[in-house]
Order: sequence, then C-alpha cells, then structure tokens
Amino acid sequence: MSAHTYKKFENSTSGDLPDKMTIYQDCMNTFNESPVNSKRCRLLISRLLRLLAQGETFPQNEATALFFSISKLFQHQNDPLRQAVYLAIKELSGISEDVLMATSSIMKDVQNGSDLIKPDAIRSLTYVLDESTAFSAERLLKSAVVSRHPSISSAALCTSYHLLPISEVTIRRFTNETQEAVLDLKQFPNQHGNSEYYPNSTYISQYHALGLLYQLKKTDKMALLKLVRHFSENNSMKNQLAKVELVKIVNDLIYRDPQLFSQFRPLLSDWLSNKFESVQLETAKLITSFATRNSRLVAPELYAAAISALQSLLTVPRVSSRFAALRILNRISMVSPEKIVVCNPELESLINDSNRNISTYAITTLLKTGTSKNISSLISTITNFIHDVSDDFKIIIIDAVRTLSLNFPQEWKSILNFLIDVLKNSEGGFKFKNSIVEALIDIVSFVPQSKELALENLCDFIEDCEFNEILVRILHLLGKEGPSAPNPSLYVRHIYNRVVLENSIIRSAAVVALSKFALTKNDPTLYESIISLLKRIANDKDDEVRDRATIALEFIDSARNKDDVIAQNLIESKYFYDIPSLESKLSSYISSNTDSFATAFDVNQVRKFTEDEMKAINLKRKQEQIFNQKSETTLDTTPEAESVPEKRADANSFAGPNLDDHQEDLLATKYADELLSIEQIKPFGQLVNSSRAISLTEPEAEFVVRGVKHLFKDNVVLQFNITNTLTDIALDNVSVVCTPEISDEAELEELFTLQVDRLLPSEEAACYVAFKKLDEIVMEGFLNNLTFTTKEINPDTNEPFDGDEGFQDEYEIDSIFLNAGDYVKSSFTGNFSATFDELPCEEVAVFNIQEDLSIQEVVDKIILNSSCLPVESTQFAPSDSNSHTLKLFGKSALTGSKVALQIKMIKSSKGLALKVHGKGEDSLLCSDLVNGLMQ
Amino acid sequence: MSSLSLYTVQAVLILDQQGERIYAKYYQPPHRSDEGHQLLFNSVKKQKEFEKQLYRKTHKQDSEILIFEDHLVLYKEYIDITIYLVASLEENEIVLQQGFSAIRGALDLILNSGMDKKNIQENYDMVLLAIDETIDNGVILETDSNTIASRVSKPPTNEPQMALDLDKGFLGAWGFAKSKFQERLQQGL
Repeated sequence: MSAHTYKKFENSTSGDLPDKMTIYQDCMNTFNESPVNSKRCRLLISRLLRLLAQGETFPQNEATALFFSISKLFQHQNDPLRQAVYLAIKELSGISEDVLMATSSIMKDVQNGSDLIKPDAIRSLTYVLDESTAFSAERLLKSAVVSRHPSISSAALCTSYHLLPISEVTIRRFTNETQEAVLDLKQFPNQHGNSEYYPNSTYISQYHALGLLYQLKKTDKMALLKLVRHFSENNSMKNQLAKVELVKIVNDLIYRDPQLFSQFRPLLSDWLSNKFESVQLETAKLITSFATRNSRLVAPELYAAAISALQSLLTVPRVSSRFAALRILNRISMVSPEKIVVCNPELESLINDSNRNISTYAITTLLKTGTSKNISSLISTITNFIHDVSDDFKIIIIDAVRTLSLNFPQEWKSILNFLIDVLKNSEGGFKFKNSIVEALIDIVSFVPQSKELALENLCDFIEDCEFNEILVRILHLLGKEGPSAPNPSLYVRHIYNRVVLENSIIRSAAVVALSKFALTKNDPTLYESIISLLKRIANDKDDEVRDRATIALEFIDSARNKDDVIAQNLIESKYFYDIPSLESKLSSYISSNTDSFATAFDVNQVRKFTEDEMKAINLKRKQEQIFNQKSETTLDTTPEAESVPEKRADANSFAGPNLDDHQEDLLATKYADELLSIEQIKPFGQLVNSSRAISLTEPEAEFVVRGVKHLFKDNVVLQFNITNTLTDIALDNVSVVCTPEISDEAELEELFTLQVDRLLPSEEAACYVAFKKLDEIVMEGFLNNLTFTTKEINPDTNEPFDGDEGFQDEYEIDSIFLNAGDYVKSSFTGNFSATFDELPCEEVAVFNIQEDLSIQEVVDKIILNSSCLPVESTQFAPSDSNSHTLKLFGKSALTGSKVALQIKMIKSSKGLALKVHGKGEDSLLCSDLVNGLMQ
Repeated sequence: MSSLSLYTVQAVLILDQQGERIYAKYYQPPHRSDEGHQLLFNSVKKQKEFEKQLYRKTHKQDSEILIFEDHLVLYKEYIDITIYLVASLEENEIVLQQGFSAIRGALDLILNSGMDKKNIQENYDMVLLAIDETIDNGVILETDSNTIASRVSKPPTNEPQMALDLDKGFLGAWGFAKSKFQERLQQGL
C-alpha cells in the first residue's frame, strides 16, 4: 500500500473504507497496544462496524480474536470509547465464540459506570448471557429497573424483555418492580453532564414496562383486566406508545372474549378523543375490526364515533396519520362501504394528495363507497383528473370502475361513457388500454342493454389501435356479440377494414369474426356479402388467413345448405366446455394411453355449459373476486397480505363454500368422474347435476362424512365420502343405510348400495346409494346411518389381526335433503324484471323465521338452498337497513326451463319475515322451489 | 390482529443516491430461534435485493410512507441519502413515525453540518450510536431526539490520557507524601 493511500485512511474524515484485511490487522494491532490510543481505537471500531454493516463478515476464529482484543479495551476508562466498544460487542457477539468472557467487565460497568455508559452496558447483557448465566443478572436488572434514570430503567426493561425466552423465571422475580415502573414517571436528573442537549423525558419506560408486564401476564385474563383498569385510571399513562400498547391489550382481551367489549365501551369512546393521534387510530382500528367480527356487540354510535375520528385524521398535515386512517377506511370499505360514505368529501380532496399511495387508497376507497345514487357524481369526479395521473394509477381506477359496473348494472350508461372517453382520449400503454377493453367486455356481456353503444365505440377504437392483442380480443367480441345485434352490417364493414389494412394475426382473427355473421338472423342479406368477402380473403398471401377463410366457407356452406348441426356449432358455438374438467380428462387420456390413441378422445364426457350458465359462473367468480380483491387489481404498493384476511367478514357463510372456487370445481369434476366410471351407474346416462359436498358430521368426529347429491335423468345417486380418523381401527364393509323420512309415500325406489370393502385409518373412500325416481322432481329427506364392522389393526402389518371377527356397529350421521334447489342450475339474465314478468307460472309463499339470524345470513342460506344466481348484486344485504330484496335466477337442470325468484325480507324484533314471489316456465318446479326454500 | 410485541421495527436503512447501502441494520428478536420471523432478511443477498427494489420504488417519489412487499416503510429522502424504517404491516403507523422522527431528529442534531453522505460516513460512529440508542433489537427505545443526541458521545478529541496520568501522578505523589508525613508525625509524637 502506498504511503499516500495509507495516509488517506489515517485521516478520519475520509469517506472511503480500506479493505477487510487491513481493517482486521489494524484493529488487532491497535487494540493490543499499550497505552490505549482511545481516539484511534474508536475510529477503527467505527470502520469495523461499517464493514459489518456492508454485509461483510469474519470467519469465527478471526471474529473471536477481534472480540477478545476489543474486550481488552475495557481497561481504559473513556466513555466515548466505551460506547463504541459496546456497539462492537453487540455486532460481534453473533459471529464470535466465548462471548461470556466479557460478562464480568460489563457487569462492573452496570454497577459503577457513568449514566452514559450504564444503559449501554445493561443492553449488551442481552448478547452475552445465555440460559445458564442469565440468573446472575437478576439483582443488577432489578435495581436498574427501579432506577430513577429513565434511560437506565428503559434499558433494563428492554433487556429483560429480550431475555424472556431464555430466563422467564428470573425475570418473573421482579414483576412487582416492573408494575411499579409502569406508573413511575421518571425524569432526567437536572445537572445532566456535559452534553449540549437537554434531554426531555417522554416517559417511554412506561411503554417498555407495560410491554414486559403483558408478556409476563398474558396467560392470565383476570390479571390483564385488572391491569387495564388500573392503568387507564387518572390519566396515569403519559407516554403515547404506552397508551397504544394499552389499547392493544384491550384488543387482545376482546379478541379472546368478545363479551368483554361492552365493559370497555366507555373507555374506548374516551380514547377515541385522546390527544394522541396514534391512540385514536389504534382505538378506531380496534372498534372497526371488532365490528366486522361481532357486529351485534358494537353500538352504532360508537362505530360512528370511530369513523369520525378517522375522518378527522384524514385532514391532519402529517402524512403517516392520513395514510394510516385511509388504510383502515379502505379495509372497512371492502366490508361495509355504506358506513364510510360520510368521509367522501375528505376522500375526494385526498385524490389530489401529493403522496401517490394516499391518492391511490383514496380513489379505490371512494369507488367502493359507490351507491346507485352517487355513482354518476363519482364518475364525473374521476373524469376530471384521470388524464393527469400515471398509467398504473389509471389501471387501478379502471379496475375499480369495472367493479362498480358489475355491482350497479343499471348505471351502465355513465360508466360506459366514462370508459369510452378514457379509451379514446387518453394516452397510455398496453396494460392500461387492455384493462379498459376488459372492463368494456364485462359490461357488454353482463349488461345487454349496453351492447350496441359499446360495440360501436369499440369499432371506432380498432380503427387506430396499435396493440395486436387488444385488437384480436375486440374482433372476437364483435364476432360473438355482433351477429345478434340489431344492425350487424355495421360491424362487418369495420371488421373487413381490418382484413384490408392489418397484419396477418389480426387478419386471421377478423376472418373468424366475419364468418360468424354469415348465419345471422337479423340481416339475411349479409350471407351473400360475407361469402364474397371470404372468397376474396381465401386468396390472402398468408397461410393461416387463407386456411381459416377456406374452412369458414366450407362450414357456412354445410350449415346453411345441408343443415349440418356440427358445422353450425362450430361457427356459432352454443356450448362452452368446463375447462378444468376438460383439462383433467385430456391429461388422463394422454397418460392412460391404452391403445396408442386408436380410440379418439370422447369430448362428450366433458361437462358443457350454455352461454347463460357460463355467464352466471363468470359473474359469480368476478363478484367474489371483488371481495378477495388481490393486489393484482391495485398497485403493489397496496398490500397483498392485507387483503387476504380481509375477505368479507362472513366469508364462511357467503354463497356456499367461498373457499377456493377452482379447487371446488376440480373436486366436483373428480367426483363426477369417479361416479361415471362405476359399472352399475353407467346405464343411468348423463349426469345432470351434482350438488356441492355437504358435511354430515362434525369435522372432528371419529368418522367424517361428506355427502354429494348426483342427479340423473331418472335416477338419483347419493355419494358419501367417509374418512376414518381413528388411528388403529379399520372399518370393513362400510355402507350407508338411507331411510326416507316419510317412508310410506316414498317416490324413490332404492336400487342398490355400493359399499366400501375396507377403510384403513386416515383413508377416505366413497360409498354410493342409488335410487330410481318415479317422478320427475322428487323431494325427499333421508335419515342416514353408517354401518360397518370395526377391526383392530395390527401395527406391524397395518392389516387387521387374523381371525378378528370384528364387531358390527352403527353411527348416525345427519340427514340429507334432496330439495328443489338440486334440480336448478344458476343462470344469467341481463334484465331481471323483464324476464320475471314474462314467465307464465306464479307461486307466492310467506315464511317467518324466529331464529336470530341477520338478513345476510338468510340471504346466503337461500342462495345456497336454491342454487340460483343472485342478480343485480342483490346478494349483499345492506347492513344498515332492515329490509332487503333478493333476486334470483336459475334454470332447471333437467329441462332447462327458466325460474326466477324475488324475495322480500323484513327484519323486526320478532324475527325475519320473508315473502317469496316465484315465477317460472314449469309450474311444478316453481312451486317446489318456492315452498322448499327454507328447508 | 395487531401484535402486542414490543418488536415493532424490522430494519433501519440508509441508502445513497444509487441505492447502495450506507448503513443497514435488520433486527431479529434475540433468543427466539424458531419464529421464522421475516425469512426475507436472513441473507445478505436478499437484503440487498430488497434494498434495491425499495430504492427503485421510493426514489424521487415524495411520499414518505408506503407499503412495500408486505412491509410498512417510512422514509425520508435527503440530498444524496435516504433513510428508511421498515416494519410489519400491523404496526401503528404513528408509533413508527415517532421512532422514525426520533432517528431523523437525533441525526440532525449530531450531524450539525447537514445530512449528507459524506457527513454520515465521516461521523459513522455517531450515526451508529444514535440509531442504537433509538432502536434496540427492534424495540423503540427512545422517541425524544434531544435525549438520544445527549446519549451519543463525540469521539475522543485528543489524547487527554497523558495529562490525566500526570495529574494522577502528582496527586498520587502528594497523597502518598501526605500520608507518609502524617505517619511520621504520628510516630514522632
């Protein structure tokens, strides 16, 4: 190393750092010098720590050597150097051996050090003590906890907190001192040393003491209650962190026992007006999150107070307070947006906040508060500023608007105009445009009235759209929706323009779209033009385009002139395959490969959906997404983890198993596959409908049974999935005996029972009971009994002992009901009231529910029971009103006849009154559905 | 549910204007081996990756607080450095703000010639002490910047040691002489 660079590092003012080995050598040399050069030692320690902070590390033997030589510096009584030594000890203790050797020097400092050194010495105890030596610090820590000096006391409390996992017994010995420390308001001594700063005690040792005390008492509910009562009196908590901690303790208590909430109510409302923003915030957080779990225990006034506390926090100058309040409001908006509508003026002003995270939260929250009344004003607010914000922010807004359009289909006009405006007039990248188009596609498919306007504007848009992917999607949409529009020729012109002007990818998409117009009923003259257009395209220079045109011509010809149904279906597909089931079928086809694929794949095995059913499924899925709104719809500045547990509070009861729809679908497909592969069941023909799996036992029972109802044209099969949770018992010949509830007029004839031969521990198997239906729609309840022979298992062979006869046993499981809902599939209608009026048969029924259920709970139950699709987002009961109208639409699974239900609910003190007004094409189904709704 | 633990802060970082680390301290509750607390932070490589991403997200965005990769982050950009405080999502933002402003305030006081990279590197020991006196293993230890600043010692200026030894020598000699003299006197009596 040249003299020059060496000089450079000698100079403490240099920002550069020498290499690791130099520092190591320097440290080893200088620390062992005598007498100690304190200035140079501190400089070297600072360099060493800088090196460690960069992420460098030393091998253990070198670290130990460093630790050893640093601990030699304890001989030197110089406070500034000593502080640095403590820093080094803390950093090196992780990588060095034998840290215990410093203990006695540290303990000496704890006893005799200056006020500056003492807290550092105490805190470093955390690093040098272990399970076997922690007890030796008891006396020192105890006396430090009661010290009058705030820093010393805090240091001792924190160290005790750190040491808790390894020496709880020791720390417990000074619980009393800790408790006193909570209330002790420690001041700094007046004649504070030679420092130029005037320390001002924040009484923060209260916070540390309270934190430690909670850990010591957390298992004892009564002690915690006493503690809260004691410390919330007389304003004895001066430190705001300590107060926040106290709020959190209350939160913990009511989380464990919700009934305690009422006794804390006065305290909470007091805290909501506390002078510290942090306390207000924490209290509001507590109340609102508690209310989502136990809405009945929270008085509306208190909730409103919490909201208004948050509201006032929205206008404070401090960014983090605004941010924090918004986060909570945003969380509430996912569950009960109507409660925060009062904050809308503040939210609107926050849209232009300089902090982008705040404006993002503000806008998404604001859009969730949308109701049919304020949507158009919301939209116009957004229109004012959307052009000025960045792309990813725009995407968030578009996604939120799209959500709105699904929830308020009747407001489609203003939403559509907004989207079209943004689409045409604003600059933006692919992602942004794509999200708009996606929103438009949603509107077109779920709000039929909007079709014409939306398609027209999309046609304009594709004239100068630069993104292939978006163009292809729009062309597909035009092909799908265009032929049924009143004036299809308009679209044909636009599509054909693409064929003339664009590249081959778009040309081929345009060909497919064009071909769909050939058979349109709205304008028969189009046939000729399409044929001539396609013939022209058939000379295209690109292979794919040519091929598609030729095939399309062929299809059109055979569909029109030879009435070929297959060709017709290929042009205008009426069915959509169930993709998960198609996938699993295909993969099993490929993997089984019995005859090197000589037999073709039988597509008829795959479940098919009609367009309305598909829409119903999609709508359901999309609406559920709104609640589980993952951050993909927002920026990654918005939390991912946060939104997951913040599903709707009543997620368990909401619309059946909300768990994982995809999983559920796969399971259903799997069950259906298993069922249809059984020899005896094959003659029943096509599976018409399957219910969701229903639990028939407690989940922790010895035998867990789940039931599935399968419906065939003339047969019913009940499937029982049995799981043996016992560890050492095998079940033989397991079957289920189903007895109709009303045995004498049974409309079902039992055909056979398929039993499980042997069910080993922790295995699951299905047993089936098949019936023949005598009527088309049969409703029946079954009392079910599990019968089996238990056999003890030889642990060595995992087989039952030889010669064990076992003994016969029975186990009663819950009844299973075959009700009208099982004959119904959910279906979509764009215009409920018109459809409702058109349906010929009518049935009205009135129910009274005595049980104490919320409207939402009843709604969820009805949706589950009827298996209809809730339309016009009526599945969400407003939590602030006592009445609600639920609209349901479905189709018979057997015949496809439509059925619509309109259910009015009124909640009063006596219970819940329901008036069900059902209409349908099939009077029997309609009346069965209406009358069996609340079974 | 909000956690009742005192371990509120997950990391304190100071990055320069290229997003390179000047100071970084990731806190892990001591003596708790298995908690699997923040897997993200257990290797230097992941830490640096996190810092890079964080810097990219925050540079030239005057927003002070954000949620980043499931962490609540408070930060402040100065001329050529940025100070960050990283915590978990459940923490009370205003409490964190208290701790964060304490660090900033204390650094402001002790680096009286301004918050910049050069100053921080030159007074690295004091910066370390200030942060260490504010946050102990993730526990907010103090929120008053004056208190923190008063607890940060300046590096020893020169070698006062010689003079002190000399003093001690004189006093020692004087005391020794005095005691001997007294002894003699007593003996003489």
